[in-house]
Amino acid sequence: MRLAWLPVTAGAIVAAVGAAGLIRGAMAQAPAAASSTSAAGPIAVTNPYVWAPVPPSRTAAAYFTVYNTTGRDDRLLDVQTGAGTSAVLHLTQSNGSMVPIPNGVVVHARSRLVLSVGKGHVMIEGVIGTLKPGQTVDLELDFQNAGPINVVAPVLPVGTTPGSR
Amino acid sequence: MRRVLFVLIAAVLALVGCSSSGSPKPKGSALIVAPQVGKYAGAGLVPAQPRPSFTLSDTAGKSFAFGTVTAKHPTFLYFGYTHCPDVCPATMADIRLALSKVPASIVSRTYVVFVSTDVKRDTGAVIKQWLGNFSVSSKATWVGLRGTKAQIDAAQAAAHIPLATDDGETHSAQTLLYGPDDYARVTFLTSDNEDQAMAHDLPIVAGGNG
Repeated sequence: MRLAWLPVTAGAIVAAVGAAGLIRGAMAQAPAAASSTSAAGPIAVTNPYVWAPVPPSRTAAAYFTVYNTTGRDDRLLDVQTGAGTSAVLHLTQSNGSMVPIPNGVVVHARSRLVLSVGKGHVMIEGVIGTLKPGQTVDLELDFQNAGPINVVAPVLPVGTTPGSR
Repeated sequence: MRRVLFVLIAAVLALVGCSSSGSPKPKGSALIVAPQVGKYAGAGLVPAQPRPSFTLSDTAGKSFAFGTVTAKHPTFLYFGYTHCPDVCPATMADIRLALSKVPASIVSRTYVVFVSTDVKRDTGAVIKQWLGNFSVSSKATWVGLRGTKAQIDAAQAAAHIPLATDDGETHSAQTLLYGPDDYARVTFLTSDNEDQAMAHDLPIVAGGNG
């Protein structure tokens, strides 16, 4: 019985903390993640940002660029965030439809993966509390070889990119 | 705690899911788009497309005959859904920004029509609140429309854009712009900072010289 309640308790903690605006990535995060960019190491994640949901929608989109500086392919397996109840990677297919990528996506050796409007995003559903420009969202990108990489993404008004407007 | 959180997230992921996959099978004829035709910053439409006629419900539940109500008015027409996290709100934001750069005399004659492709979740109240984020204090007339799937399909076919699939989540990202002569000669593709192009083209179209 105690085990059965654990997820509920955890959910309540996530909701409470998220609603209080204290932590926007209730997943375990590096406490000193002051930079919004993780450029160290073989996998570099740059230019992360999240578009604020437009009420009453509680869906947000996260974008970033991944550079694989190594000589071997890696795979972005999953993206996690405590900002919403789910985070799912979507990529646009050759036929133009944007679909979930449940098994992740390969980032080839010495290549990059760019998530941008029309190409792909991480769809954050069930956003907890309010998410407004000026806030940040913690994202954990899980790679097959490189392991987890944490980035802090600024929340921007819909339609804008870092440095635009 | 971390393990518990992972379990929780995994469970939610399994239950919620997101948009379903599947290839769109458009039945309507796609517009012929010729990027950067002539004087437009947006993508030119060749041949020009007539303003479509379809009747849907506005957010108050009243009948709205697009072809007759918006006739002779500069009109942006877009099909999307409010749970869309990126291109739909980005397009509305671009239109709002574009309108802020255009003379008020043109803006006050302009319609912005958003047709929801999500016939299940987008109620009139939802569309009204969502669209209100963009239409607030705008001098243009913003209209949110909804209908049955058959009605929405018919409206998209009338506008010659591919029909939305996956409960409306896979949809065309085009914004059509009709002029006072009731033809569209320019369209804006996947909205990625299209506001400057829209602001450039709206006065041309509104001037009747489209």
